[in-house]
Amino acid sequence: MVGVDLVSATSTAVATATAAVVHESPIHVSLKAEVIGHLLGFPITNSLLMTWIVMALLIGFAIWFRGTLKMIPGKLQAAVEWAIEGAYGYVVETFESEKLAKQFFPLIATIFLFVLVANELEFIPGVGSIGLFHGTEFAPLLRAPAADLNFTLALAFISFFTIEITGLAVLGGLKYAGRFVNFSSPVNFAVGLIEIISNLGRLVSFSFRLFGNIFAGEVMILVAGYFVPYLLPAPLLGFEMFIGAIQALVFAMLTMFFIKLSVTDPHEAH
Amino acid sequence: MSDLFGAFGLQIPLLIAQAVNFAVLMVALWYFLYKPVMKTLESRKQLIASGVHAAEEAEAKAAKADDEAAKVVHGAETEAEGIVSTARESAQSERQRIIKEAEARAASVEKDAEARAKEDAARALRDSEKEIARLSMLAAEKVLRTEK
Repeated sequence: MVGVDLVSATSTAVATATAAVVHESPIHVSLKAEVIGHLLGFPITNSLLMTWIVMALLIGFAIWFRGTLKMIPGKLQAAVEWAIEGAYGYVVETFESEKLAKQFFPLIATIFLFVLVANELEFIPGVGSIGLFHGTEFAPLLRAPAADLNFTLALAFISFFTIEITGLAVLGGLKYAGRFVNFSSPVNFAVGLIEIISNLGRLVSFSFRLFGNIFAGEVMILVAGYFVPYLLPAPLLGFEMFIGAIQALVFAMLTMFFIKLSVTDPHEAH
Repeated sequence: MSDLFGAFGLQIPLLIAQAVNFAVLMVALWYFLYKPVMKTLESRKQLIASGVHAAEEAEAKAAKADDEAAKVVHGAETEAEGIVSTARESAQSERQRIIKEAEARAASVEKDAEARAKEDAARALRDSEKEIARLSMLAAEKVLRTEK
């Protein structure tokens, strides 16, 4: 629960800082993704467009890569195989079950790759700086997907429902419900309540951790670039790229650990 | 709550769109990346296993062939030894036989020669007796003629 407090504290701090900046300075910061157009009445935001580019790159690479697969691997294939085999081995080790690992590896790996590529692509020049003016309002054409709460909350919901449904399916309805609503003793009842809050809290912590880190990073680089345009932004960019990779790892690993927790019988775990 | 949603630009259609994006990406990566790579890894593992198995089999086969060859060589050696020893034995007996035969023949030749020599001597004696008788008769005739 400490994690949640920290994340919400940082995001409120960012929010107030942003609100102060927007009106009085030439630094343009928007907490929400800008709508750049409509398709059949559906709002297309710059972060949604960026998400599609990320997807296109990943899927394009996957299709091209599948065509080049050989029994005797080249350097790239060996690297990709090493990464997938290593990650899969780690998932198997965590779940202690080949079957569960096989089921959830695609989800966990995709969360990691999606968030990783989305976070790293934001540092390509032009993302956030090329855009259109609507009157005096500037709307960039592309925005880091994770700097839009829609993206992070959607991933958080997917992770949340996967965790809860898996627990329900593996442990069975009664046993799983007993984790949250338990009248066997006052202590167990309180533990159940805490469990409900902490599970629901994951929606907030998952989404705001990723959003807060990436959005704050963008704002920091923007502000640093405004005050010290040369030299200073370079190490900050490197640091933010590192943060982007770490956040991708955190999102994927936490999902994996929470799935493992949800399928572990609390009475057999000890 | 709606203020909060508004501040962060949360919109249900966008949320759903991003969730669908994720689902599409997951299915695509599963089909185009994870599954083929896993399959390649698995088939390579099997290939290596079968290769190792074949190599082990070949090694065992080679060892067996070596054994067999050694056995064959050993058998051939014993056989050759047998052949040589029988040959030696038969040569020995043949020699003995030849010697015995030669001795027998020599003995018979000697006997023959002895018999012939005896006969010759007997014939010579007879002949000389006859000659002596004839000569003595001739001498007696001559004496008688002169005395007349």
